[in-house]
Amino acid sequence: MRTDASVHAVPVPEGLLEPSLTVGKVTPGSLDDQVLAFPETRPPKQWYLALAVTLTALGIGLACIGYTFTTGIGAWGNSSPVFWAFDIINFVFWVGIGHAGTLISAILFLFRKRWRNAIARFAEAMTIFAVMCAVIFPLIHVGRPWLAYWLFPYPNQRALWTNFRSPLLWDVFAVNTYFSVSLMFWYLGLIPDIASMRDRTTSKLRKTIYTVLALGWRGAASHWQHYEKAYLLLAGLATGLVLSVHSVVSFDFATSVVPGWHMTIFPPYFVAGAIFAGFSMVVIVLVVVRETMQLKNLITMRHLDVMNKVILAMSCIMGYSYMMEGFTAWYSMNEYLHHGFMNIITGTYGWAGWITISCNILIPQLLWFRKARASYFWMIFVAIGVTIGMWFERFVIIVISLHQDYLPSAWRIYKPTMIDFGILLGTFGLFFTLVLIFARVLPVIATTEVKAILPDAQPGHGGGHE
Amino acid sequence: MSKLSYAVLGLFDTPDALMHAIPKVRAAKLGTVEAYTPYPIHGIDDALGLRRSPLGGMVLVMGTLGALTAFGFQYWISAIDYPIITGGKSAASWEAFIPIMFEVTVLFATFTAGLGMLLLLNRLPFFGHPVLSSKAIKGITRDRYALALEAESEAFDSAAAAQALQAAGAVEVEILPAPDRSPFLTSDYILRTLGGIFVTCLVAGLGIYTLTKWFPLLAPMKYMQDQPRLNAQKASTFFKDGRGMQPPVPGTVARGYLPTATGTQDAAATLVNPLPRTKEVFALGRKVYGNRCEVCHGALANGSGSLTAAYGAKPANLQAQQFRDYPDGKLYWVIVNGKNAMPSHAPYLTETQRWAVVHYVRALQRAQNAKDEDLKVVAP
Repeated sequence: MRTDASVHAVPVPEGLLEPSLTVGKVTPGSLDDQVLAFPETRPPKQWYLALAVTLTALGIGLACIGYTFTTGIGAWGNSSPVFWAFDIINFVFWVGIGHAGTLISAILFLFRKRWRNAIARFAEAMTIFAVMCAVIFPLIHVGRPWLAYWLFPYPNQRALWTNFRSPLLWDVFAVNTYFSVSLMFWYLGLIPDIASMRDRTTSKLRKTIYTVLALGWRGAASHWQHYEKAYLLLAGLATGLVLSVHSVVSFDFATSVVPGWHMTIFPPYFVAGAIFAGFSMVVIVLVVVRETMQLKNLITMRHLDVMNKVILAMSCIMGYSYMMEGFTAWYSMNEYLHHGFMNIITGTYGWAGWITISCNILIPQLLWFRKARASYFWMIFVAIGVTIGMWFERFVIIVISLHQDYLPSAWRIYKPTMIDFGILLGTFGLFFTLVLIFARVLPVIATTEVKAILPDAQPGHGGGHE
Repeated sequence: MSKLSYAVLGLFDTPDALMHAIPKVRAAKLGTVEAYTPYPIHGIDDALGLRRSPLGGMVLVMGTLGALTAFGFQYWISAIDYPIITGGKSAASWEAFIPIMFEVTVLFATFTAGLGMLLLLNRLPFFGHPVLSSKAIKGITRDRYALALEAESEAFDSAAAAQALQAAGAVEVEILPAPDRSPFLTSDYILRTLGGIFVTCLVAGLGIYTLTKWFPLLAPMKYMQDQPRLNAQKASTFFKDGRGMQPPVPGTVARGYLPTATGTQDAAATLVNPLPRTKEVFALGRKVYGNRCEVCHGALANGSGSLTAAYGAKPANLQAQQFRDYPDGKLYWVIVNGKNAMPSHAPYLTETQRWAVVHYVRALQRAQNAKDEDLKVVAP
């Protein structure tokens, strides 16, 4: 093994070296033994317990969806004028959570932020699961979900086409593209890791499954060359995509004339909010994974520290966006916008407005303190706060804007039903069920990518590739 | 040489050793040089003399194609085949097509990058490569770095290749025999797989056939189709007269419209106005009188309303002594039943409104025939 001195004529001073992304001695082999061995061990009791809880939540959600199908959408609290309520709130909420995964795997890859490598796999998986949760809502909201394929423009005997000027149709394309691209990105990253698992497993069944999934990957240099190029291209494409998806989601609102929706700030505001909520969810899950799967040497406090800094930055952007909402309302000299904004802070749902502001703007300010960024309690406190706050932000945007618009005779107070809450609970059940299963059957850390940034992993650099 | 060999693998423990060995092994010119590593090694493509990956160009072409496809598709549908004016925009306004053009561009580009890399450039999936059945593969996908000298023809000298690799610093050398049969996709395996696929297709096909056959009948929500209602032009089987909508029972009165004066006008004379003489009652009476009575009977109830001339009728002058002597009940009876040319006002005046009008008419009569003591009541 080379040392710094043998490569560089002048040794790099200690202070100028970036700190290592791993703690202790990690070699490619030990990394495999640590991460890839996991799926081959028997899950602990706590895992089954957690799975039982999430499956129960999922079951409740499925029961509520079944009740909705057999009874009709009237089982929900939606009613004129609040036709979009929990379903669209939850859709935007889950799509937003997905955005952190793509940000970590694509945008940070383009920025050459090497710390992303250890957490990218998990974040990407969470993207896919979150989008799966999100897609449920528009599907069940159409009322007759078995006809949901009518959303796609296909030649049909009714001689009808979809309306390409509708942002809802843009959404169909954006979300489907997002899911396909995320899945492709995730699977490409998994192939070399699955190949490693294929070559280390002794179980015949696992070997067959991994052999098929790895597609015969053999690590040839000529393959890696194309692979790296493809990964770079996918990262570039996914970066544009992730910015577009939540922008398109925000168009659903911004292109309408409802006071409180019709604002040009919506696309960047939604994207920032999505990254904000997504990072918080990643922090929550990573802390649990780090503790329960003994990955402290790979997912270090430095990772969590950087994640918390991103959350803090996003919180500041959100604060700016909220202020701009108020400014736009004031500067417009439009009484409907004034009324809409005052509704957020003093209306019937004013409490939801204040939950949004305190959870998204005030609580994350704790992360200015290094001690809070290094403390599980505070970072989880902030992350759960942000998750709640971001859910309520969508509640504020959708319900508060809709329940009182231009026509006072149509104003009505919206109240969700237990079925609404049951379906929301069900998607949390689905999300965490998938996360639990993923953590047991596939490598939760992209071992190939982490190997490539270990010290001495690249020739001629000596101390790693920072 | 009894057996042909496919390649010779030399194993190295560090990426540096591998990189140092590559030029030496390439210089020997014994066969194609290829490296197998657990992760991408920087600079190895130059060392091996690999050509630049053409993937970028492929993605650019397909991405552009995606944009054009999306544009053409949307333009043809929105402007030619099914033009609908939305938001007052021209059917051919292309600005709204941009979001979907972007998404489809990304979709095409992504699938080109992913599948193009796997299927076209790397020729995967391929399960029969000799390296996959080598002893070294466990190290290659873990933490070892292999350099392979691969045969270009049957004249490949594996012994010389092994020597060259060892001279370049390989820790271990493995000679890979030419594959006589695929190690993973044996004919037996393929047969079983095909059988499995066939059975799966059969089950899925039958399942889908049954589902599509029965599912329309089992629509989860069919309340709107199967209502217990009577269709147009169909006779009711529920009612004896076959009518779906039954006429009201004779004498049916809507809530609040109960006419208490159904007998003769003289019989109604004994009815007493149940309403108190309050400001609210007079206000209501005035409003109803203004809406319903004034056009004929006039604002002063003297029978000269604005409609009188045009209508040609002679409405009663309620200021006449005859009507001033009427008891309240008789006035009420006329409002409910009508008299001479005057129609019944019962259908649209509630019980309260009728009696309020009676009070108001009394007030008008008294105002037009006021006595001195009336002034004293108002003046104090």
